[in-house]
Amino acid sequence: MSREATSGTVRPILASAAGLAAFAVFSAGLVALTLDLTRERIQTNEDLHLLSRLHEVVPPDLIDNNLHEDTLVVEDDPLLGQQEPVTIYRGRREGEPAMVILPVVAPDGYNSPIHLLVGIRADGTLTGIHVTRHNETPGLGDGIDSRKSDWHKQFRGRSLDDPSREGWKTRRDNGEFDALTGATISPRAVVQAVRKALLYFEHNRERLFAEPEPEARGETP
Amino acid sequence: MEFKQHSAPHLRPATRVSRVMADVLIALLPGIIIYSIFFGPGVLINLVLGMATALAAETAMLYLRGRPLQPFVTDFSALVTGALLALAIPPLAPWWVVVMGALFGIIFAKHLFGGLGYNPFNPAMAGYVVLLVSVPGVMSQWLLPPGLADGAPGFFQSLSIVFTGSWPAELDVDALTGATPLDEVRSGLMQGRTLGEITTAPIFGAIGGVGWQWVNIAFLLGGAYLLYRRVIRWHIPVATLGSLALISLVFYIGDPDLYASPGFHLFNGAAILCAFFIATDPVSASTTPRGRLIYGAGIGILIYVIRTWGGYPDAVAFAVLLMNMAVPAIDQYTRPRIYGHKHEP
Amino acid sequence: MSQQSYGEILQDGLWTRNTALVQLLGLCPLLAVTTTAINGLGLGIATLAVVLGSNVLVSLCRHWIPHTIRIPIYVLIIATLVTTVELLMRAWFYELFHVLGIFIPLIVTNCAIIARAEAFASRNTLPRAVADGFATGLGFAACLVVLGGVRELVGQGTLLSDAHLMFGEAARGLAITPIPDYPGFLLAVLPPGAFIALGLLVALKNVIDQRLAQPAPATEPGHPAATAPD
Repeated sequence: MSREATSGTVRPILASAAGLAAFAVFSAGLVALTLDLTRERIQTNEDLHLLSRLHEVVPPDLIDNNLHEDTLVVEDDPLLGQQEPVTIYRGRREGEPAMVILPVVAPDGYNSPIHLLVGIRADGTLTGIHVTRHNETPGLGDGIDSRKSDWHKQFRGRSLDDPSREGWKTRRDNGEFDALTGATISPRAVVQAVRKALLYFEHNRERLFAEPEPEARGETP
Repeated sequence: MEFKQHSAPHLRPATRVSRVMADVLIALLPGIIIYSIFFGPGVLINLVLGMATALAAETAMLYLRGRPLQPFVTDFSALVTGALLALAIPPLAPWWVVVMGALFGIIFAKHLFGGLGYNPFNPAMAGYVVLLVSVPGVMSQWLLPPGLADGAPGFFQSLSIVFTGSWPAELDVDALTGATPLDEVRSGLMQGRTLGEITTAPIFGAIGGVGWQWVNIAFLLGGAYLLYRRVIRWHIPVATLGSLALISLVFYIGDPDLYASPGFHLFNGAAILCAFFIATDPVSASTTPRGRLIYGAGIGILIYVIRTWGGYPDAVAFAVLLMNMAVPAIDQYTRPRIYGHKHEP
Repeated sequence: MSQQSYGEILQDGLWTRNTALVQLLGLCPLLAVTTTAINGLGLGIATLAVVLGSNVLVSLCRHWIPHTIRIPIYVLIIATLVTTVELLMRAWFYELFHVLGIFIPLIVTNCAIIARAEAFASRNTLPRAVADGFATGLGFAACLVVLGGVRELVGQGTLLSDAHLMFGEAARGLAITPIPDYPGFLLAVLPPGAFIALGLLVALKNVIDQRLAQPAPATEPGHPAATAPD
């Protein structure tokens, strides 16, 4: 094959490659620039978003610390329904332990596992629950979602002994908690997940608060 | 001179639509009577509401589309749609539930596709699915059969419940209503209980649910009448019930603790009503003999699959609608071979 | 190729060749997102920004893009713009971004955008490409907002109920509840309702077109009387 013929086919390919490369560099530059300009704001937004979710289960004036700055990572535990380490958020008031927020998973939701946040005061009573992720049937099981109904409010102020330990079931299972019209599975799953979270708290209460409060963390941006 | 041409399939001359539909209504009667004996006058209120709404919607749509009212309004097809839909809705559901379902079935599923003869989907089932998706809470509150509750509410109490939506103070909603046997089995299994434990509950009778089994036997009688009158052919009912029985038998033999028996599946929910009255709708079903077998078998299998692994209590409506979608393809591939021609799918 | 006037470009994008109502492109995000008017507006504006940006860039570079590799380059440009828009939304409309979720990155798959780049922007001057991108995007966005509004109204009986996602807390007052105590109609909010509502919108557009085309009242062509088979 002669040198001229080769260069005749190679030249357009090279030109195309150069064109594509130029556009790729330009695109990457544009994305990098935007990322750089927005990174800080996005981080703030994400923190705020997490915080606002956490505060769904925090009564006003109960704590005065920054929840996402006082966290504790614990190993997975069947009572929490998780299969990976869990980040627990701790609320304090004037340095004294006031409450914890446990992220738990109810594995037996109707369509998929239900993720929720359970807020527990230092004395073991519930401050509230908040479903963060679920896939329950619209109009039936999705009443567990606080945006859809007030069903979740019945947990406020309850504890393991209020109602009695046998009463931690839905009414349909002869327990003390209301179910939802036409739905039995989702409320049952949530009630059990909350009960287990309370049990976990009871077993680990000392440890959950005993870990030293972290120093002002340098690594948070 | 013009020759009248018929395309395949060449079946026996079609009887008049009104005769067919009248026979269907007659065949529904035993089931309706037994149903209302067990579950009270709410059943009849539903039927009246459903049929009246369907007829009114049919008339209004014909008028709007500038079609002649005469052959269509009096052919009873709207009444059959209204009746089938009403039978699928829990007695004592608020009045607007039945009305909404019938309106959707007739207006959207039937007339927007061109009216009788052109609708690809069974209008009653389309209306039912809309309700199931829109108001699942209402659709899962069934009256408990007598013996488990202190009798169904009387006629005037039923009327007031249906039209005001509130229950009289002397009746306890939670004591009178509950889940159907199908629902009970599903939620029991999800809790990890075995079928043996679940079916000891008082709601379960000899084969189907208490009350429900007799209603289904009455529908079976009605189906036999339809076969005798040659309003429907045997293919679809046999294929539907046969495939449902067969697939449930296979799983039942595999693990009787987890999978309900064929008898349970046949005599619960709307399987029998579906096999004889719903799946056989001449407009939306397959029209070739082999096609009808495939269509029916598809419905039976889908009923089982959706009941066992699906997200809603009964599966009949979804199974019928899904197979309705497959009908054009089934008919295409099962056209009878014309004598002397090679088969070309 | 005959040159379209600006009026024709606008009319094409907004009505005659509306992406959603006539070409039925980009249906996946269209149907999934439009549960409320604000969701529709959010996705609509994001799409408008991308199609406008891609038209501008493609038109500007149209003389330098080698013909053989133009498609990969269009894809590159569109993907870049979508990523940029996504980042900007996360920075300034975080709550709305959370609601729209995966459908913002999925704008990249909206074939209407690459279609405009290939069919129009690569052959026209910058101002004309801008007009076209604007019209196409606005037509799509308008359809999203109307669809979202209809579904929100029928489904939950409100309008602009989540305006605060877009315009901040002060906009909560914009929410309208025309029918108090509306029980809600779940079907409209669920995916099947999206298909039904879109079908009705397309039908409405066709009716309007028919009315415009023949102002004289025309009788419906007679169909043979329907007979039931069997």
